Amino acid sequence: MLLKLAWRNLWRNRTRTWLSALVIAIGLVAMIFMDTMMVGMNTNMVKNATDSLMGHAQMHALGFRDEQDVKLTINDLDQALLQLEKHPDLKARSLRIVTQSMLSSSGGGEPVLSLGVDPEEEQLLSKFDEAIIEGEYLDSVSGQKLILGWKLAEKLELGLGDRLVLTAADAESGEMVQELFRLSGIFKTGEEKMDASMVLVARKTLQSMLKLEGRIHQIALRYSKLTQDGTPVNPLKKPDDSSKNELLLWTELMPSLYMISQMTDLSMAIMGTILFLIIALGITNTLLMGLYERMFEFGVIKSIGTTPWQAARIMLFEAVCLGFVSIIVGLILALFVTALFVNYGIDYTGIEFSGVTFQEKIYPSYKWSRLVLYPFMSLGFTLLASLYPAFKLWKMLPVEALRKRKF
Amino acid sequence: MEETVIVAHKIFKAFGEGETEIQALRNVDLGIKRGDFAAIVGPSGSGKTTLLNILCGLDNVSSGEIKVSGRSLQEMSGSELAQFRREHIGLVFQAYNLIPVLTVLENIEYVMLLQHVPAADRKERVHTFLAELGLEGKENKFPAELSGGQQQRVAIARAMVSKPDIILADEPTANLDSETGGQLLEMMRKFNEELKMTFVFSTHDPQIMERAKRLITLTDGRIVSDELK
Repeated sequence: MLLKLAWRNLWRNRTRTWLSALVIAIGLVAMIFMDTMMVGMNTNMVKNATDSLMGHAQMHALGFRDEQDVKLTINDLDQALLQLEKHPDLKARSLRIVTQSMLSSSGGGEPVLSLGVDPEEEQLLSKFDEAIIEGEYLDSVSGQKLILGWKLAEKLELGLGDRLVLTAADAESGEMVQELFRLSGIFKTGEEKMDASMVLVARKTLQSMLKLEGRIHQIALRYSKLTQDGTPVNPLKKPDDSSKNELLLWTELMPSLYMISQMTDLSMAIMGTILFLIIALGITNTLLMGLYERMFEFGVIKSIGTTPWQAARIMLFEAVCLGFVSIIVGLILALFVTALFVNYGIDYTGIEFSGVTFQEKIYPSYKWSRLVLYPFMSLGFTLLASLYPAFKLWKMLPVEALRKRKF
Repeated sequence: MEETVIVAHKIFKAFGEGETEIQALRNVDLGIKRGDFAAIVGPSGSGKTTLLNILCGLDNVSSGEIKVSGRSLQEMSGSELAQFRREHIGLVFQAYNLIPVLTVLENIEYVMLLQHVPAADRKERVHTFLAELGLEGKENKFPAELSGGQQQRVAIARAMVSKPDIILADEPTANLDSETGGQLLEMMRKFNEELKMTFVFSTHDPQIMERAKRLITLTDGRIVSDELK
């Protein structure tokens, strides 16, 4: 009966109820929309970062990442590869030689990061093959072909077929060694660093040049099953310290990117709390107006045997009913607004943020847990907003309320 | 000997403090017996409504003691008083005191719902009263769809349906024309005689005074006469 009473009371002033519901609903829409865009942006950034070169995880010898020492190759490679093969969620892997080197042409020289890759393996991991804008991608694990970024090509005034010399220190003696390559393709990834200072060559050729036959600096990994955050559902077990290898997820390889997604969650929580608090104050005001308007009526209700707690519950139920109406309206509006942006997206292409360049439009992306959390948050804050009016009603003396009769 | 359902002993009630203090009730002693049909009369400001509010625990006394159905009202908390009124006291106010968003049926069964009366019993009692008060067919109407007299009959049904020990009515005919008021009074008198229900009115209405079995006259917060007719 109290719930029925609350529900009917709510609709006595339809305009006011709809306006209040709309205020809560718009708050909910704002939260859901902002959140889906933030999730979409994070997903986009993580995808860009993990699709380009990094992969979802990388294995190195301990110390390689800091020192970039050509001698620091993965220890017990066969055992490491065996471990990778057994993992069911591993979609692709790329075994790489990575070395700092000097690229020279008739137009000059530039320090570059050279990557020796198996083109077939690398194709499944990064998008260099798709990023080729001129010429062609590498076609063999050995050979003298080389591809590089368009900015580097511009700087060295290179054209397809040009001869290039790569100079680097070998792993045995540390002596500088040179190898002649021919430019077969130019790529444009959109990543400033890669386009300006990275070259890809056949892995076996680079291994031979650096006297690293059978050895590998880096294994980049791609998983098939990822969480919505872009982390693997079932990541590989980290190697023991005794193996002297390390296996790092992208969250560890690029902590700034991971931090951004964590900060986004925190800032959304703060923003949501502030937004809903402002809305809650408005709802408190509306409920108080309703309470004062019906003071005599509540006096009658209390005088005929409704306990203070039962009377307060009428107010709380009114808030819950208002909350539910708002949630339904808010969810419908939120789905409509986000559906619009799912179709059209927001174009941030080419803009770099935290070391990652947006390659595609940003589309809203749902986190189902949030679609549950935000409606509960708005219901919670609506209920919070009703606490003061409910307390007033609880404390209200029926005899005083009966004196407030409107004639 | 008939049981006394209300005992008021040396009741004082003051509003305000210091120079603005007004003595609404002064040294009131009153006993209401089961089956009484009593009217508290007196000029405006004599303390009739205040006394009625105190008798049902809606207002506190400044000093003195009130016992209703053997229980001291001063010792009860707000929640206990509400439950006590629900079980023992039926209240009838001036007109337009129904809950506007509830239908006639829901208004009448409201108190029984709070009392957790089983649905079948509730239904039977509601329909009995609807028939007695000539409200059949109005069950699903909202108060705004009824005349003043019909609304007051619903209010009487609501007060009586839970079978309280006593019905307190504050000027129940004040907003009704004399014919409708007379009909309502006849009904209440009938319930008083047939069901032995106790009624206490505060009123100016000569019709009530005429039908009352007992007239209690208040002047300036004092009982100046208490006569059985």
